[in-house]
Parts: sequence; structure tokens; C-alpha cells
Amino acid sequence: MNALAKTAAPAADAPATPPKMRARGVSVFYGDKKAVADVSVDISKEHVTAFIGPSGCGKSTFLRVFNRMNDTITSARVEGLIELDGEDIYASRMDVVQLRARVGMVFQKPNPFPKSIYENVAYGPRIHGLAAGKGDLDAIVERSLKRAGLWDEVKDRLSESGTALSGGQQQRLCIARAIAVDPEVILMDEPASALDPIATAKIEELIHGLRGRYAIVIVTHNMQQAARVSQRTAFFHLGELVEYGETSEIFTNPKVPRTKDYITGRYG
Amino acid sequence: MSDVARTARPPTDWNAAPMQRRIRRRYAAERRFRLLGLAALLLSAGFLVFLLATVATNGLSGFSWMFLTGSDATEPARVGIWGALKGSLLTMAVTFALAFPIGVLTAIYLEEYAPRNRWTDMIEVSINNLAAVPSIIFGLLGLAVFLNFMHLPRSAPLVGGITLALMTMPVIVIAGRNAVKAVPPSIRDAALGVGASRIQVVFHHVLPLALPGILTGTIVGMARALGETAPLLMIGMRAFIASPPGGISDPATVLPVQIFLWSDEASRGFVEKTSAAIVVLLVFLLAMNGIAIYLRNKFERRW
Repeated sequence: MNALAKTAAPAADAPATPPKMRARGVSVFYGDKKAVADVSVDISKEHVTAFIGPSGCGKSTFLRVFNRMNDTITSARVEGLIELDGEDIYASRMDVVQLRARVGMVFQKPNPFPKSIYENVAYGPRIHGLAAGKGDLDAIVERSLKRAGLWDEVKDRLSESGTALSGGQQQRLCIARAIAVDPEVILMDEPASALDPIATAKIEELIHGLRGRYAIVIVTHNMQQAARVSQRTAFFHLGELVEYGETSEIFTNPKVPRTKDYITGRYG
Repeated sequence: MSDVARTARPPTDWNAAPMQRRIRRRYAAERRFRLLGLAALLLSAGFLVFLLATVATNGLSGFSWMFLTGSDATEPARVGIWGALKGSLLTMAVTFALAFPIGVLTAIYLEEYAPRNRWTDMIEVSINNLAAVPSIIFGLLGLAVFLNFMHLPRSAPLVGGITLALMTMPVIVIAGRNAVKAVPPSIRDAALGVGASRIQVVFHHVLPLALPGILTGTIVGMARALGETAPLLMIGMRAFIASPPGGISDPATVLPVQIFLWSDEASRGFVEKTSAAIVVLLVFLLAMNGIAIYLRNKFERRW
């Protein structure tokens, strides 16, 4: 509640702040099949942006465009322009490794490395050389776990395997791992869909806490979740962006009939 | 709804004669299968026990300090196994040093890097076929290429090891690919997601997780190579060698070839020595499998 009031205060829509990420006319193909068609979206740093829509509407595929995770799928092809701070991320001089450090990702199924909790969080900073020494790395691990709201639960067993944690804890560990490399944007692909309601609530609380520090994009098929955590919502259907705007607008006063039908549960 | 109720059949009578017959038949089938399985097990285990018992009764008297430290001789009383054992060790070392890194790198490249196209399909088929090629063919290849063309030393563990490496490598590639394939894609995503490069993904995450499977495949391949006789005969490792090899380029023989040679001897004294050599070979194999199981358990991780 507090967090909500705090970050809602500044006029975020002021045209003075350029969007953190910008997509213009983006289409994604799997082979001949068009999964995402001509989508344009701005991602602002101040907001949590939610992508909603029925299964198979292309929202996850579109999310993976922002850190070029689609590169790993050989049949996938991306058209259009995607910028991070005005820089084309699909340009040949863009270093994908660096891009993925700047645009972190949390996946649908918690996927901690089968290593210790400490190693899970320390891995990113270590490969990017972000820590000056052991003490520095310890500090990064502690800070990341604290931000992910996991520190108090695991501080006495950092050497235990990350896979021994519960599902919700694993997902927060994955968020801590993403935070540890100090990204500018965090992409979350249905981060709570495999979790129980209590663990889900914790993740949503966490997203509230992280807002403002990182630009956050969350894909969810849970509309209540989108309404709770986001300030901007994009509604996708059949690979198209149907409507994009203020979350409160989308949920109370959708402009497009298709959005209204989905939100009121007519299909989905 | 009422239609269904009216035409419904009477409740099943589980005590009726046909039903009871069916149940009896099921139990009979159950018993038959158990007996058949047990018989199959006893047959294979029986042969193993028979082999071990024969070898032990014939061979245990053949063990002596001289047998364990000496090399081949013309007198059965003066022969030793150390020369062949050392030959096997050196040959296996060469095989492992070549087949393991090349096999693992091939497996990783094919699984993680190579594009899927006609060429990689062809390579895949060739590797699968290579694993099934009879070993004598590899021996002929070794003779033609390594001895006649490259003029490497005859009868040496170096050439034996290279030849066996050719045989072992496809086995390691196949096992390695399966092990790499079994690593969940979510782990790769996780590593890529924090900005790991492809080579970091492979060496920090995929390879450690695939290692138990790769090691199991490697040991299977190595154990086969250890017992291989035919290709080594082709490259001259059947020569009579009266002193243990000093290095990988010295003339040597290996355990299975030594067993083959002694079993061919007319003198009665060699029966005992042949059995003793078989015991040594079996112990060597058991030790290798033991190491494999130890390494696998050590590296195995759950996720």
C-alpha cells in the first residue's frame, strides 16, 4: 500500500523521461508461423508493465524478444526494432551476453542451478567480474537475497543446495540471482504460475518492493495478478497487441470490445 | 436417463465360474512369468559362477610373487603377468587420453553448437555405425594407417591405444550426447538469463551435470577396449615379449592377448597360468567399474 502511494506520486507519464525499452513493429516468426504480429510497446523504468492474454497469444514469445532469448530457438526469427536506452538490441554490434546482464529474466518454472544457494546468486556477478573480492561478493549475495526477501530464511544455510528450497523460495532465489548482476530491466515470465497462493503473494509483494529500482515486465495469465502488481497493462490476443495503457484504465474502462470480453471472462 | 437405468445390466457376479476361471488364469500367468524370469536369471548367473569357480580353482595356485612381477617366458613356471598388465595400463591410458576429450568435445559440439542439417545428420549416422563396426576392422585400419603409412612403432601400446581409441570414441560420443541431452533446458535458460556466454553455459552447467552419464558411457567403452583382442593382434601386440614395456612406444602385449597366447600353449603348466591371467583381467575390470560407480555417485546431482 505504502509502496503504491510512493511511486504513483511522480508524474511518470511526463514525456521528459524516455522509455527504458521501446519496441516498434515487432513480429516474431517460428518457421512460417507468425507468433507475434507488428507489436509496438514502450517499457518505462518507473512502472511494472504486465502482458496479459489467453494461452498461446504470443505474450511470452514477445517478452523473450527483450533479452534475445529467442536467439536460442533456431526456427525463431524476429523483425522490427527493439531498443534499450535508444540502442537497437538486435544490431550486430550489440553484445548479447552484456544485454542479458542488463535485461535479466525470471522464468515460469523456478530453475535454480543445482548448486548452493550462495553459488546461485554469486554466479552472475562472478562471470561478469562485478565483485572486487570475496568480501564484496558476499555483500552482493547478501544484498540480493535481502532484496528478494529471502535472506532471513536462508542466511544460516547458504551452502545448502538451491534445489532443496520450496518452490516459492526457489523462485525468490531466481529473482535474487537476476538482481545480483544489477540489471536495468527484469523480465518475468509467469513467475508465480507454478506457486501456491501464499508464495504467489510473496512474489507479488516482492515485485512491489522492486518497482522503481528496476523496470519490470511481467507476463501473467492471471488477470487479478496483473491488476494487483502492474501500472501498465498490454493485452495480447492471437499474436496481436489489442490494447495497451494504464492498468486501471484497461481493467475498468477498456476501449476495445475484445479486451472487455477477456477481462470479464467471456473467453480465455 | 431412465432408459439407461432400465437397460442396465445386472451387477457383476464376481463368484461366477467364468470370472473365477479368468482370475485363476491371471494368477497362473503371473506364476509362469516369475518362474521364467528366475530361470533366465539362474542361467546367466550360473554361467558366471561356473566361470569364476573354474578360473579360481585352476588359477589361484598359479599366483606367486614371480607371477605378479614377471613377464612372459617360455617356461610356464617362470611366466609373469606384470608385463601384460603394464601393457594394458599403458594402452588404456593412451585410449583414454585420446577418446575421452575428443569424444566429449564431439558430443558437446553436436548437441550444443552444430546446426541441424544434412551434414550433421550424416555425421550422426556415421558415428552410430562406427560404434557397431567389428573390432577386427579397426585392427586392419590401425595396421594400414598407423604402422604402414605413419610408421609408428609396431607392437606398441601407443598404436594399440590409438586403435582402441577409434573404437571407444563413438561409444563415448553416443553416451555423451544422451547425457548432454538429458540436462534440463531450464538450466541453460537460467545461465543464459544472467548473461552467461554459450561456452560458459556448457562448461559451468551442462558439462558438470552431464558428467555422470558421460563417465558411465566412457567406462563401458573402456571396459570393452580392455577386453579387446582382435585389433591388437593385427598391429602386432601378440609378439613374445619377455620384459615389461618401459613406455608407450616399447613393444608390449595386453592382458586379453596374453590370455589368448597362453591358452594356445601345449604345455600343461599354462592352463593354470591362463586362469590366473583371467583372474587378473577380471579384477582389473572390476576395479574400473568400481571407479566408474564411485565417480558417478560423487558427481551425481539432483535437481
